[in-house]
Formats: sequence, C-alpha cells, structure tokens
Amino acid sequence: MKKWIFYGSAFLLFFIPAILLIVKSFTPVWRWGEPFTFDWTLRGWETFLMDARIFDAMAISLVIALVVTFLNLFTGIPAGKALSHSEFRGKSALEVLLVLPLFLPAMAAAVGLHITMIRLGLANNWLGVAIVHLVPTIPYTIKVMKSGYDRLNPDMLQQGKMLGAGGWHVFRTIELPMLMPSIRSAVFLTVTISMSQYVLTAIIGGGNVITLPIIYYPFLQSVDDTVMAAFSVAFAILPVLAVLFVELVATVLTGRFSISKRGAL
Amino acid sequence: MKWYQTSKPAVLLIPALLFLLLIVYSLVMAFAESIRSPEGWTWAYYGELFMQRRLIESLGYSLSITFVSVFLSVLIGWAVVRWFYSFIDEPGGKWLVWIPMLFPHFVWGYFVLLLLGQSGLISSFFYQAGWLSSREAFPVLTQDAYGVGIIITYLWKEIPFVILMLLPAYLQLPKQYGEVIAVLGGGRKEWFKTVEWPWVQPVIVEITLILTAFIFTAYEVPALLGISYPQMTAVLAYDWFYGAAWEERSYAFGLLCLIAFILGAIALLSFALMNRRRWLLSKSSHQY
Repeated sequence: MKKWIFYGSAFLLFFIPAILLIVKSFTPVWRWGEPFTFDWTLRGWETFLMDARIFDAMAISLVIALVVTFLNLFTGIPAGKALSHSEFRGKSALEVLLVLPLFLPAMAAAVGLHITMIRLGLANNWLGVAIVHLVPTIPYTIKVMKSGYDRLNPDMLQQGKMLGAGGWHVFRTIELPMLMPSIRSAVFLTVTISMSQYVLTAIIGGGNVITLPIIYYPFLQSVDDTVMAAFSVAFAILPVLAVLFVELVATVLTGRFSISKRGAL
Repeated sequence: MKWYQTSKPAVLLIPALLFLLLIVYSLVMAFAESIRSPEGWTWAYYGELFMQRRLIESLGYSLSITFVSVFLSVLIGWAVVRWFYSFIDEPGGKWLVWIPMLFPHFVWGYFVLLLLGQSGLISSFFYQAGWLSSREAFPVLTQDAYGVGIIITYLWKEIPFVILMLLPAYLQLPKQYGEVIAVLGGGRKEWFKTVEWPWVQPVIVEITLILTAFIFTAYEVPALLGISYPQMTAVLAYDWFYGAAWEERSYAFGLLCLIAFILGAIALLSFALMNRRRWLLSKSSHQY
C-alpha cells in the first residue's frame, strides 16, 4: 500500500510532466479551448535543430559545461581526498568555508567579478562565463567527492603503492574506478547547474556569449508550445550526453577500453 | 603509520583554495563597488537603500515567498523520506525522483506556465470538458500577486532535492539504537528525540540554509513567473545593476552585499552551533 502511494505519486508528479513535455514536442500547437490534437509532427525538433543560432548556442553551452566540469573535477577530486583521508588543523573550518558559497547569492559574486573580468578581457567571453559558473558548482562537487573518498578505504591505495604503482597509476586503476559513482553524480550536477544559469551568464557574457538559456528566455513568451517543448526537453538531454562523454573518457583512462590490456593485467 | 598520506593535503587543496580566493575576491569587489561614489568612499547608498519603497516591498514579498517555499519543501520532502525511504532507494524510485533534478529551474517554470497558466493546458481541458465558462474563470496561478506560481515551481523542484539530500542520512540511521531504546522501555518519541533527530538535524539545517539562500536570491523563476511589482530581490538587483543612474548600480551592489552578509552570518552561526555534531554531518554527507 505504502509502496503504491509512493510510486503512484512520484509517477504522476515527476514522470508524467517529463512525458507531457516530450509528447508536446511532437504534437502541433494546442490552441486554448480547442481539442488537443495528436497529429505527430517533427516541426518542433526541426525548428530547434535547424536554427543556426540555437545550434551555436548548444555548442557553446556544451563547451562551457565541459570546461566547468573539468575544472570542478580538477578541484573537487583532490580536495575531497584531502578532506576525507587526512587530518590537519582547521579542517572543519575549511570544510565549512568551501560549502559557504552555497549559502550566498551567486549574483553577488557575479557582479563583483564583472569589472575585473572586463579588465582581464574575460567579460563577453565564454571563458569568463565558465569561471563564474564555478561559483554555484564547485561546493557541490567537493561535497560529493569527499563522501566518495569517505567510502574508499585508504589502505587500498596504500596496497597499490606497496605493489609498486606510482601515484597516477593508483589513481587510474584504483581510485577512478571506485569513485565512478561519485564522479557521475558530480558531473551530472555540474552540467545541470551550468545549463541552468541565465543571470550569471547574462551578467558576465554581456549578451555576447549566447548559451541555450540566453536564447530560451526571450522564447518563453512565444505561443509556439511545440518548439518550446522540444527546447525544454533538450535541456534534460544535454546532461545525459555529458555524462556519457565523461564515462567514455574514464573508460579510456582506466584502460578498460582495450581487452588486450585487461588480459595483460 | 601514515607515511602514505604525505602526499600533503596542502597540495591537494591548492585548486580549492584558489576557488575560495575567487569567492572572497568577488565579494570584496562587490562591497567596494557599493561604497564607491564619484566623490570618493561613502556609506550613503546603504542609507538610501532603505528609503527605496521598491526595496521594502520587495523584501516583504521575497521573504514570504522564500519562507513558504522553503518551509513546505523541507517539511514535505522530509515526510516523504521518513515514510518511503526504502522505496526511494530502489533503482526505480531513485530514478523517478531524479527526473525534476534534470531540468533547469526556468524550464520547470515554463512547464508550470504551460500547465497552470490561464491559457494553460488544464484551463483549456476544463473549458473543453465544459467545466469552465471562459479563460478568465480559471484562477490566476501564474504571474499572480502572491507568487503562487513561483512557489509551485520551487516546491516541485526542491522537494526532490530535499529527498535526495536526506536519503543517505535515513539509509544510514543507526537502527541498533532502536533495540536499546526498546529494552529501556522507550517508545517512538524517545527514538525520534535521541536518535533520529540528532542524526538528521545537521542535514536539515544545511538544506534549509541552501534553499533559503537560493530561493531568496534566484533570478530565473521570479523573472518568469512573477509580476512587475513588487519584484523579488534578485530581479530588483538585476534591474538596478543595469539601471542608467550611478546610484542604482550602487544600490544593486549594496543590496547583494547586504544579503550575502546576512546569509553568510546565519550560515556561519548555524555551523558554529552545530560544531559539536560536525562529525555527524560529514558522516551523512550526501551521496546522490
């Protein structure tokens, strides 16, 4: 009974909306008061994919998201390891400071960086936008990676070293495979958050860095719900693509890609 | 025997410390802009800020929307986790709860508009079914004076967030204490007071702080589902930031700094008070 209530309401409130958006992206515009029609059409997706502006925006959004993801992992993995596997003075204070940006308005950081970004030539530039996207993402990645390392016994890494593996080898063959669930969550969160930024991108990008949200916003007032639905669904697909990409990189790095190599191990 | 840990934490923390430097630098710069005038440094903008009717109205509006959204999301999310955590941990359950997390806030806001707007799907459906005489007979739920649309969007997006943040804490509840309590003759009330609440309290406080800061200062959803007056703080700050007059820019910086200062102080104070239970927080930190 309890199970039925949970699955029933989660299905209705979380699954149906996503399905509704997908269905809407394949059906013609529904005018108010007229019957809902199901003459399937690809027009929404065609408009979305054929528009050169949208295509460019998708490319730049993905580039920004991947750079942000890389910087997040580059910061979060070592920080998570240090916070989890070692003791030092002021550790708990540092942990609080590193999550503190989540409790502050990200817009304050964006307007504060704006003038410096102009001076450095990073305003109106995708790299500047990527940097400001670090503000709402890195604290989450550090948290996720720290809990990932909490579940990884330091003795395992020590064992690898005793068997003669170097730091990079240990990372590649022990840490990376065992941390994969945490890395996946971190990538997912980072890409989703990066794709959700309108105001930070608008402030630093100054209307020159046209990401998907920057195009989506003015579109919101349009009555073409078919195109809007396709556009909306695309936002959910992109994080999935990014995770698949990171998964591929990790597979190559851990060397599981080539079967011959696995045999050699 | 900790020789293997000499891969010094300091080195591992360099990128994270650089990130902290970026944050501190950005806040200092924002503050400097808020006290800079063409005639030199001044506190005047902070004084003038509170004489702005737009701001006073905005604060009341933002606070009430934030309070209702945060209170209900935490309460509902917590109740769902308490009752259903064993199903949420199943792959299917987790997958369902993850769906709204995939969509940006403004996309979910568009969905709320599409569904619940006066010209939305539900209104259209009711009209076709003959339950509604006209478009205007449908209640104004989006772009309304009370921020109902904003609150609905936030609840829909944040309840899954609360569920996913609280889930690990509930899965790791030390159930063995239940027996101790039963042996000592305690009931469910004692279980809650001595085990469950101390265990989950740090996570609840943290979620509440994150959501409060986010909802109070987010631009995307209120810009879409709000009205032109009063505005939520971020929308006002954004308008001021791009305002033509020098004062308006300074107000934007001042307002954001003031909010950052207050929220930061609340967060630090809460963490200091919880410091003795810090180890609990780190134990239950969130595995999605």
